[in-house]
Amino acid sequence: MREDPIAVVLDNLMKFDDILACMVACKNMVSVEPSGGTESFKSEIYEVWDDVKSTMNYAFEMIGQHSGFGEMNYRVRDYEVMLYVLPDTETALVAITPFMANKGLIEIQMENARRKIQKIRENENMA
Amino acid sequence: MLAASLQQEFIQKIPQKKEEVKLEVGVGFSEKWNAWDAGREVAETAIKKLMQPPDFFLLFSTIHYEKHGGFQEFLNGVWDVLPKGTPLVGGTVAGFINPYGCCAQGATSLAASYPEMDVSVGIGHNTKRDPIAAARTCAKMIKTDLKSSHYSHSFIYEITSGGTIPQFPGLGRKRVVSSGLISRLAPYLTGISLTMLQRGVGREEETLAELVRQFPDYHIIGGSSMDDNNMVENYQFFNTNISKNSIVALGIKTDLKIQVNTTYGLKETDVKLQITKKDRSERIIKEIDNTSALNGFLKKIGWPEDFIDERLYRKTMFIPLGFKKDDMLFPNVIGLFLGKNILVGFKLEKDDLILCSASGKSLLDSVDENLAQFQNQNNHFGLIVSCAARLETLGRNIYVTQEKLLKFFGDKPFLLIYAGGEDTYIPGVGQRHINESFNVATLSS
Repeated sequence: MREDPIAVVLDNLMKFDDILACMVACKNMVSVEPSGGTESFKSEIYEVWDDVKSTMNYAFEMIGQHSGFGEMNYRVRDYEVMLYVLPDTETALVAITPFMANKGLIEIQMENARRKIQKIRENENMA
Repeated sequence: MLAASLQQEFIQKIPQKKEEVKLEVGVGFSEKWNAWDAGREVAETAIKKLMQPPDFFLLFSTIHYEKHGGFQEFLNGVWDVLPKGTPLVGGTVAGFINPYGCCAQGATSLAASYPEMDVSVGIGHNTKRDPIAAARTCAKMIKTDLKSSHYSHSFIYEITSGGTIPQFPGLGRKRVVSSGLISRLAPYLTGISLTMLQRGVGREEETLAELVRQFPDYHIIGGSSMDDNNMVENYQFFNTNISKNSIVALGIKTDLKIQVNTTYGLKETDVKLQITKKDRSERIIKEIDNTSALNGFLKKIGWPEDFIDERLYRKTMFIPLGFKKDDMLFPNVIGLFLGKNILVGFKLEKDDLILCSASGKSLLDSVDENLAQFQNQNNHFGLIVSCAARLETLGRNIYVTQEKLLKFFGDKPFLLIYAGGEDTYIPGVGQRHINESFNVATLSS
């Protein structure tokens, strides 16, 4: 079976020590997970997972209500949720990182991942 | 096999007429995670753009290959492709920008070939224990090779091992040491850690000063190798070898003109701090305005004491302490809080400090300000060294920096590395090892 290229992008994000979980999601739905599914998430994420999931739904409500959302970051306990909206959609690349992480460096890799996902989507639409 | 086939390709590509020989520069790039694969790709993508074998090869990577095969394997990948004997220097950096991307994970390189250029590389070890001896050893290698060169323009590109967080007994690696006996002993322990274990500040200002003594007529640009801003470990690359706590340098003599320029994008605030006591190394502030350095700093800046925690670096990197010497600003990022003392990245040569601040806009404006100095000349390529703190500050907005560089350089190659500190020297102007700056060197005709 052919690997989902977006899952491969997520797999690479998961290689960063400071990315505890990542996915492509929209309201009430995770559309793409890393190849290993949620089992590839780092174990510390499970202590806040329920809170992260419910707050993400609020975040996606806002994204759906207001056009032009680019990025959104917010803190849940000692973790930070980063949402990078895919252009012209209500779908976002989401990553959860420790609050203490060097966020600037992660931002760059999130932006790179968003661009790659966008390119994959464009290629799929053209095919 | 691949190296042999590329060698063959070079032979086939060699122009038949002398006038066709010119400067060729190729920038390499890899985002692969496997060390060997990334090494191979970063070399191949650079040298494929050349008709001639490269005269030198600059190589940079982020720290991630430490855990994905190791740096020796990374270099083995490079040498699987790179023609044997090519002078190579480089090291680990926090991130980089080249014409093909902006990265906080991956590898990049720059290969150049030019007949009107003599090249040498040097290395000196134990920079944290004896930076002057290390710089001298490195300089001697380059001087020996270049002494018979007849070219009038001289250039050094150097990478020095940057600072690491010292390890304290019972506490491990800490940016803030606030408890008990260790906090009182910390200033002394940092000295022991530095000379015995070679963990601590990079002493790059001392290696640079010695390089300038050895090469007073050379333009110099360089930076401090580092990891992903955690300051745990960093590596230097020299030909086929990996080093720690070393300086590596590329020396060039050529007929091309060399120009170096520094800009900051920092605002000098009205907040002034007077150092009233510092230690012998001039890197540990003991008192500010006749009170403990910690209290003096917090009072001036208006922060509560509990603001000082392990996320300190994320806060203080935006407000470096600057001093002025010879009309030049020396911004210095706070590294550690050791009890009531403050440790900074390099020597504070003056006691009058200015609190500096930056915004994303001012940092980006400084790119334009810098590049404006290089207009109206035929730039062949650009080597740029900037501060990892700027990378951390700008985050995804470093793509704006790339856009500016692409607009300026057009189809000419450039390579920007984000380092732990930046070094420049311009004959007749002076030298500076600083933080939070943007430094451009171009070779032009």
